[in-house]
Amino acid sequence: MLKTTISPIFSSFTGKPKASRLIFQACKAVLEDTPPSARRNASTNLTMLHQGPPTSAYVHLPFCRKRCHYCDFPILALGSSSSSSNLYEEGKEDDPRITNYVNLVVREIKATRAGFDTKPNLETVFFGGGTPSLVPPKLVALILDTLSLDFGLSPDAEISMEMDPGTFGAQKLKELMDLGVNRVSLGVQAFQDELLKACGRAHGVSQVYEAIEFVKKCGVENWSMDLISSLPHQTLEMWEESLRLAIESQPNHVSVYDLQVEQGTKFGNVYTPGQSPLPSETQSAEFYKTASSMLRGAGYDHYEVSSYAKDGFKCKHNLIYWKNKPFYAFGLGSASYVGGLRFSRPRRLKEYTNYVTDLENGAANWCGNGNVDLKDVATDIVMLSFRTSKGLELKEFGEAFGREVVNSICKVYEPYVESGHIVCLDDMRREVMSDEFKTLIANDEMKIEDHVRYLRLRDPDGFLLSNELISLAFGVISP
Amino acid sequence: MAMASAMDLSPPTFFLSGTSSSSSLRRLSSISVSSFRRHSTRRLQLLCQATAGTQPQSGLSESGSKLAARSGQDRLLKVPISKIRNFSIIAHIDHGKSTLADKLLQVTGTVQNRDMKEQFLDNMDLERERGITIKLQAARMRYVYEDTPYCLNLIDTPGHVDFSYEVSRSLAACEGALLVVDASQGVEAQTLANVYLALENNLEIIPVVNKIDLPGAEPEQVIREIEEVIGLDCSNAILCSAKEGIGITEILDAIVQRIPPPRDTAENPLRALIFDSYYDPYRGVIVYFRVIDGKVKKGDRIFFMASGKDYFADEIGVLSPNQIQVDELYAGEVGYISASIRSVADARVGDTITNYGRKAESSLPGYEEATPMVFCGLFPVDADQFPDLRDALEKLQLNDAALKFEPETSSAMGFGFRCGFLGLLHMEIVQERLEREYNLNLITTAPSVVYRVNTVNGDTTMCSNPSLLPQPGQRKSVEEPYVKIELLTPKEFIGALMELAQDRRGEFKEMKYIAENRASILYELPLAEMVGDFFDQLKSRTKGYASMEYSVIGYRESDLIKLDILINAELVEPLSTIVHRDKAYSVGRALTQKLKELIPRQMFKVPIQACIGTKVIASEALSAIRKDVLAKCYGGDISRKKKLLKKQAAGKKRMKAIGRVDVPQEAFMAVLKLEREVL
Repeated sequence: MLKTTISPIFSSFTGKPKASRLIFQACKAVLEDTPPSARRNASTNLTMLHQGPPTSAYVHLPFCRKRCHYCDFPILALGSSSSSSNLYEEGKEDDPRITNYVNLVVREIKATRAGFDTKPNLETVFFGGGTPSLVPPKLVALILDTLSLDFGLSPDAEISMEMDPGTFGAQKLKELMDLGVNRVSLGVQAFQDELLKACGRAHGVSQVYEAIEFVKKCGVENWSMDLISSLPHQTLEMWEESLRLAIESQPNHVSVYDLQVEQGTKFGNVYTPGQSPLPSETQSAEFYKTASSMLRGAGYDHYEVSSYAKDGFKCKHNLIYWKNKPFYAFGLGSASYVGGLRFSRPRRLKEYTNYVTDLENGAANWCGNGNVDLKDVATDIVMLSFRTSKGLELKEFGEAFGREVVNSICKVYEPYVESGHIVCLDDMRREVMSDEFKTLIANDEMKIEDHVRYLRLRDPDGFLLSNELISLAFGVISP
Repeated sequence: MAMASAMDLSPPTFFLSGTSSSSSLRRLSSISVSSFRRHSTRRLQLLCQATAGTQPQSGLSESGSKLAARSGQDRLLKVPISKIRNFSIIAHIDHGKSTLADKLLQVTGTVQNRDMKEQFLDNMDLERERGITIKLQAARMRYVYEDTPYCLNLIDTPGHVDFSYEVSRSLAACEGALLVVDASQGVEAQTLANVYLALENNLEIIPVVNKIDLPGAEPEQVIREIEEVIGLDCSNAILCSAKEGIGITEILDAIVQRIPPPRDTAENPLRALIFDSYYDPYRGVIVYFRVIDGKVKKGDRIFFMASGKDYFADEIGVLSPNQIQVDELYAGEVGYISASIRSVADARVGDTITNYGRKAESSLPGYEEATPMVFCGLFPVDADQFPDLRDALEKLQLNDAALKFEPETSSAMGFGFRCGFLGLLHMEIVQERLEREYNLNLITTAPSVVYRVNTVNGDTTMCSNPSLLPQPGQRKSVEEPYVKIELLTPKEFIGALMELAQDRRGEFKEMKYIAENRASILYELPLAEMVGDFFDQLKSRTKGYASMEYSVIGYRESDLIKLDILINAELVEPLSTIVHRDKAYSVGRALTQKLKELIPRQMFKVPIQACIGTKVIASEALSAIRKDVLAKCYGGDISRKKKLLKKQAAGKKRMKAIGRVDVPQEAFMAVLKLEREVL
């Protein structure tokens, strides 16, 4: 039944526009293919969000001293020899591997010619890695200059950089700040030497304290601390200690990641999730709950599954992701989202180098091929919205994808509203009780979204089961 | 390939040799065409292994076999009724019935040496694989005894209790039977049952002890056993080895000497007994029959007395063993009719054929409607195959009047059919044919029997589907079919078998030693207890030495209850079963435990319960998933996580929702399998 009510809406969108090399063609094609009802709301419609020019850029700086045992990102390990003697200050001579790579990224940025009518400045730039703090500031400057030249950089843009303890000193940080970097994401991960060692981090706890010291000394106002829960041998006591010490060091943003044991990583080879020395599923659920309650107790807003922020310090760049807005991406293995298409660059340096050359020759395109499938857009929005505490806004979702989908999603979630995994909120973000929600669903006459404006996952019980819950909605959208 | 070799070899020699008149030649060549067609369409007929197999050694001299071959070619020639002998062979599986039949065909020249294939009478692939005969065949032979030609008709019988009605009808078409017993194995339960059937039909029985050439042969002991168990005079039992060709002539002589000829009632109105029929997609139903009274000619308008249908006999012929057309058959003869009959249900085994213009006063005794005793639900694994399953069942039914089915819908399994079978073997054969010949992938529910429910308002209803059992408040009592079961076993397994029977609610009746070393044990037990793995258990507990035989003896009241399975307080209908109260607890516990293993954990705690009415008798709980949370979508790269979520969503699609709980199809299948084992 679900299938028949939903499919007409989607089928009218899918499989139409021919792959286009230039982004404005893709946009035009999508626009032409959008039926009138959707076009009317073009300015606010969710289906249109991705079509404007991006105002965010992700830049991947893949260098690390060595690979952590849990890591499966595209990184380039430098080894500890080259810069180990002068970790805290810029090296006398730069590592040619870094210089060459940065030059390549600069070429990529230059070769990216967006055909948008308007050219708004970039509002957020995010240097991720790898360990971007291993890159000499003057090379970071090169990238920022290029971005500024090609896309324009807003004077109050949020420019974030991931930095690892032991890879920067006060001077380097100062230089970076002078270049415009105004947000630091510090990869602390744990406050116990044995845990840091066990997961192959290149730093110890003393370097963590030093790094915090540098951040404070340099007056970085907007900084975030990353922690990982469910590490091997981690106990609840250790986790509580890490959280306490994190809170004491007063970052205005904390990211808490639950360890994912990925295939092909060192952990993936030796550990099985839920089995010793990894904490059990129940324990790691407990870790998650503990983080939520301790950090919220300390005044942080749990605004996304793994993100906590003090007032006014949410990560603007990451919000772009959660809102399904477009963003550029540059560098090895990075993924962009422009014109409704997600595109991942090659993860190996050699292929990435070829890609950049092709891009310059016009033999490759930078935004990906294919059609914008509205079902994909809808699932993206569901998946990303439910990560946030704001949740899924039903009204605009219904306007974009049809009321029937909203009804079906509500139906499939009914038991989970009752069990408390999902929270219904009205216009004023007051909770709608499950009995009322049940009545609304049972009554076909009423428009659910007039009474229930948002669905969100409850913190922490709903967040903890986000995969299960989101996949239920996936089943409704593409049956 | 097998077919091609069969076509190269057999038909021409059968049809074209030994005929003289040009008209009959024409006719015969037309048969061979239709016969070819039958080979190619029915495929079962001539799957021949002989070319690859060992050539049976003939015990006859060269000149003798030539002589036999000549007389074999004259087998269409009529003989007086007094020179006709109709007989069948009663034997346990593997005691050599088919080999003996082959040898008889060969020695009488009915089948030429070079056309010989092993086990000529068993047609279906399945039969060959299992070494048993499911559908019977017949063969007309010519045998010259003391310079007088005789016409011998061998009517083969199926060897399994599920088909005891069919066996009884073929025996009713004979005047005598060969009782073949393996010289090293002795009398088996199945053999006994068929001997009793033969005795009921007043057949002259010729004991034959086979495989006397084997090292373990103890013919004297076996003869004693036959005398003691069956009470048959074995003073003139024949010792033979069908494989080596020893004793074959003696057997043929004994058939002529000892089996009485049919009564000469050729002038009476026609009455012919149908002992087999099968559906040929090109010619309609082909009916095998024995003329008891009167005669039947090609072109006659014939009337089937039980079904009330009438047809014109387009073609009449004899089986020898292939179909060969003739003009007329009279009392005592065995043959076939093709009359464009649409379904075997119109010409059922046991029905009487009479002449439409000159009807017999009464039909032959012994006709019975097929009553299915065992039921199960058949569901296609892939819902799209439902129409294919229906077509396949309809096609099988054309050829199998005992197969019953009606559509059934199940919340868990979707659309399927509830099917009724004569017994377990019949069920297995149908399932296997559906899967093998029609390429269907099926889920089978636990077999059940038909219960008789007496309701409080005085009605009696029959119920084969647990979910349709009236509520406890509405039923006064429930009766279940009982069987009498006879087990024959070497004495060291008596204990094991009694334990098995006791476990299955068996009521001990009698035990006797049929030989120094072997015992017969008699039990009465519910059929429901037999439809599971009883036979497998019997075989495994006795290392394969015991044999069994059962017959339904009627309905008895039992303390039966409906055992329901509740998942998260929702009733799961297809898992409901009817069990005896004493067994409810252990069955309930096994089922709930299995389900707990198989259902993936959900976002909440899920109780899994077995209940009688509202009373919970076994309970398990599936703990809730604690954590299934997305990791960081690094650098906005959501594609991989999304793939995982899609996979997770697809996984949910393959499940059946029981209330709020997603249950994988595999869980149902595993539990149904378990039910088959524990019930």
